[in-house]
Amino acid sequence: MRYLSQERARFLLVVAGRIVPAIAGMEAEGVSRFFGIIDAALGDRPAPVRRQLGAFLGLIRWLPVLRWGASFDRIGARRQDRFLRWLQRTRLRLLRQGFWALKTIVFMGYYGQPELWPLFGYEPRQDGNEALHA
Amino acid sequence: MREVQADIVIVGSGAGGGTVAKELAPLCADGVRIVVFEQGPKLKDEELTGREIEMASRLYFDSGGMLTHDRSMTLAWARAYGGSTTVYTGTSMVVPEHVLKKWDVPGLAWDDVRRRSEKALAENNVHLLEDELINENNRLFVAGCRALGYRVQQFPINVKGCHGAGVCNLGCPNGAKQGTNRVQLPLAERQGVQVVTNATVTSVAKRMCTVRVRSRKFGEPSAWEPGEYIVKARIIVVAGNAINSPALLFRSGLGEYLPALGRGITLHPALILAAQHDHPLTNFFGFPKSYYSDQFRDDQRFLLETCMYYPFTTAKNLNGFGEEHEAMMRHLQFQQQILVLALDEPLETNRVEIGHHGEPVVRYRLAHTVLDSLHRAMIEAARIFFAAGASRVHVPAAETFFVKREDQDRLEALVPRANVRPGGISISSAHLMGGCRMGADEKTSVTDAWGQVHGFPWLFIADSSLFPRCSEVNPYVTVMALADRVAERVRERFKELGS
Repeated sequence: MRYLSQERARFLLVVAGRIVPAIAGMEAEGVSRFFGIIDAALGDRPAPVRRQLGAFLGLIRWLPVLRWGASFDRIGARRQDRFLRWLQRTRLRLLRQGFWALKTIVFMGYYGQPELWPLFGYEPRQDGNEALHA
Repeated sequence: MREVQADIVIVGSGAGGGTVAKELAPLCADGVRIVVFEQGPKLKDEELTGREIEMASRLYFDSGGMLTHDRSMTLAWARAYGGSTTVYTGTSMVVPEHVLKKWDVPGLAWDDVRRRSEKALAENNVHLLEDELINENNRLFVAGCRALGYRVQQFPINVKGCHGAGVCNLGCPNGAKQGTNRVQLPLAERQGVQVVTNATVTSVAKRMCTVRVRSRKFGEPSAWEPGEYIVKARIIVVAGNAINSPALLFRSGLGEYLPALGRGITLHPALILAAQHDHPLTNFFGFPKSYYSDQFRDDQRFLLETCMYYPFTTAKNLNGFGEEHEAMMRHLQFQQQILVLALDEPLETNRVEIGHHGEPVVRYRLAHTVLDSLHRAMIEAARIFFAAGASRVHVPAAETFFVKREDQDRLEALVPRANVRPGGISISSAHLMGGCRMGADEKTSVTDAWGQVHGFPWLFIADSSLFPRCSEVNPYVTVMALADRVAERVRERFKELGS
């Protein structure tokens, strides 16, 4: 990763595994493609946006300390989901938008992999009209 | 910095720039030098892969995810040979008469816009898709609307030899969509117009502009070597779109002369809604967008259209995360989708500015009326889904991830208006309008009714930034009609301005 430190990338994978559970069980090649897509996307964004992502990941990691006395990666799956649901619905707009952006990046890294499309039943064809009456 | 002499410069190669280029191309026979600068690449046919992330990064500005300043919306527009006509769906609508009345631009008559729109429809092979090529995703929308007694109409579309790849918004791999990349630009080039891709116009000034040409690892090489250029021209036509055109004029220092510059943008804020059926559908096979309903246009201020998006775009637009979200994504073949477009008012505070480095900054606040429209639209779309037989519907503002069929009578209670909050749901726009609006008053408009910038007889605008209010229909045909007018005025002015 050019734009996230190894530590941040590792933590991103933990959070990503709660956003798309299949990511937690993804093989090494899939993980590599996941980070490849995210890295390229971050490279296309202005530096402040990249810094904001890093800062938001830090926030996700440490905010749970205030509630549960432990960082995100140590509070267990049920609490992790609860915390992420709170982020999604909080009245604090910046946090809500930050979580939306994080989800978008995770979805891009996972659902943007053409190799995985058959898993979702998405198998587009150039001659799609032929499939209409198949 | 190299210096190049031209006569007419056109900035942008989309619906506006492409039309102006084609209309002015006959002048080349008299030795007039016309150059079109396009910021994006011209992809080779084999590079149009239909792969979502790859195509988004190659064809769209910011991969189609430019954020508004308050981060409540993403904006999608293309930068490519053909501009956004490369990635639109090709739905081809003439702007309604009542919209032109609201625009209220002295000297701009609906009959004239209609006549020029019809010229564009004929050029672009616009027709209704044959019934046997309508997929189930579209048929279900019609069935749902009709069951509820809602008006539903078929979109005229501009394809030729469509194979139904279903990836219109990622660039047609079959070359079927009749965008400016297929029709107007090749015609203009055959007559001598030069199209320079990978070329960003950084500023304009009286009878000149500065241009930066770059190289890319993909697409055809640009006609010009990478580097910085000063291009001299008698007339400059800016057709960069509703974000880039005002930004270019601001970068060029014209903001102090044009008090309305950048102001009053409208975006048709949009939501993608999805429902699940009990059986697989033909949804991503075939042409994706064939029907719309304007049932709620006048009282609730929204439109409903059919759509079918790709895995990442779909995932991003579903609210929530975790197992439910993943389960819905694993059944893409079972999905029906509807696109909602809110018809927004041109607020003065919604505007384009530039940042410290001259980059466009879009300040757009989602008005309460727009959020009201989106809320009503979610509920009405859910009703259509259920009427079409969906077993459960994902409504982004609902209290639960799915609204089940047995709960359809409780939609009002299950989808509270309070949950429609910026930053809480995915709202996007691909219809960018206003910012250089037409009008007679120099204090409240940027150009006259022929696209000439007030006080600058050598400078014209020819894109959707001219719209004084939203178009209430997909805008590209109206852009072409207005660009046709601009070209007519440029031909006259070209003689007056002399060499």
